[in-house]
Amino acid sequence: MRLAFEERGADYLLAIKEAHGQAAPVLLRKGDDAGTMRFDVPYQMTMILTNISRFIKEGRIAVVARRCDERAIAELVKRDLLNHDNLVVIGLACSEEQIRECRCTDPCPSSADIGHCAAPAKEDQAASSIQSMPLPDRLDYWIDQFRKCNKCFGCTLNCPVCFCDDCLLEEKTFTPEKGIPPGLAFHLIRAVHLADKCVECGECERSCPSDIPLLALRKMVNQDMKRMFNYTSGDPERRSPLLTTLEGDPMEDDGDAC
Amino acid sequence: MSEFNPNILAFCCNWCSYAGADLAGVNRLQMPPNVNVVRVMCSASVKPEYVFKAISQGIDGVLVLGCHIGDCHYLTGNHRTAKRIPLTAKILEKVGIDPRRVQLDWVSAAEGEKFQQVVTQFVDDIRSLGPNPMKEVRF
Ligand code: SF4
Ligand code: SF4
Ligand code: FES
Repeated sequence: MRLAFEERGADYLLAIKEAHGQAAPVLLRKGDDAGTMRFDVPYQMTMILTNISRFIKEGRIAVVARRCDERAIAELVKRDLLNHDNLVVIGLACSEEQIRECRCTDPCPSSADIGHCAAPAKEDQAASSIQSMPLPDRLDYWIDQFRKCNKCFGCTLNCPVCFCDDCLLEEKTFTPEKGIPPGLAFHLIRAVHLADKCVECGECERSCPSDIPLLALRKMVNQDMKRMFNYTSGDPERRSPLLTTLEGDPMEDDGDAC
Repeated sequence: MSEFNPNILAFCCNWCSYAGADLAGVNRLQMPPNVNVVRVMCSASVKPEYVFKAISQGIDGVLVLGCHIGDCHYLTGNHRTAKRIPLTAKILEKVGIDPRRVQLDWVSAAEGEKFQQVVTQFVDDIRSLGPNPMKEVRF
């Protein structure tokens, strides 16, 4: 997309191109051969962006971003992990099929530069059916699901807003060193850490080799955040309520932003 | 079947609630024996992680006690607690654990009697909820 360089004055473009019959992320400079660009594969651009922006100090990076990427970028900017002035966001509208897969209720980027916005999905069936179970059944359901976990950390590594260098879940206080599955606390700790950041991109659920409905759990917790604090992750204006006082002022020390 | 005696963990902050607990002790107030008090510097040191760990290992109830809002030794420490502990309980509910197993309250250094009441009430509540189902679960 020459849009990035000519119209929006970026120095780099982070996008996905066709390579060896597969889709691969590339960082292009002005004048590079883009080959065949791909806009049909969901790809975790935000994470790549966070990683490379540590090394690219000069110039602006344009990134092809879906709505969830855009919101993830907002979360990272709020936490000073990305600098908004160095970014050019090129909005990519997700296809109907992608929206269905993510049960996405907010699929349309603020400027749909590529593709057309399709209708958002209705509420998540999986989440509402789990919610309607009585507590003991619900616990049985999740225990069965979490028993499948093989502690691969895929859900953690691929999450765009899971950013700590030293993950608490790698400490043996919370995750047993030996043996799988890691138990209930592992998943609950992830749930609370992501409560004020998860943008419902669905990457954790896609990454999970054991098909644990992680996105359903995220959506349920996000609904609670909305109900309790009227907060939605990915809002560039609002600081996480977990990092403010009861009056909404910033905490003096938010040492552990996670 | 013998009577269910819940196993309770009570986090008390050093500056108010622990002193409140102390006062209750000094005044020889009757207290249920099933409460294990853990002294923390501030109720904000009680991270959700600890609560989750305790509950997933089968503790029947977790009580978090801190200074009244405005009285926290670290000024706004308990504001953080006031938000994250209810969220912690909510998340437990999402996976099917009764959110009443986690409770938050404020007890000052002068409130020995309140300490006794809160603890006694909590133990009763948990007794009526029954044992934590996680006790039986082996992963
Ligand atoms: S959906 Fe999963 S991967 Fe995506 S932001 Fe939320 S927790 Fe992270
Ligand atoms: S991706 Fe799935 S199997 Fe891997 S750690 Fe996460 S929940 Fe467990
Ligand atoms: S010191 Fe008591 S709540 Fe912070």
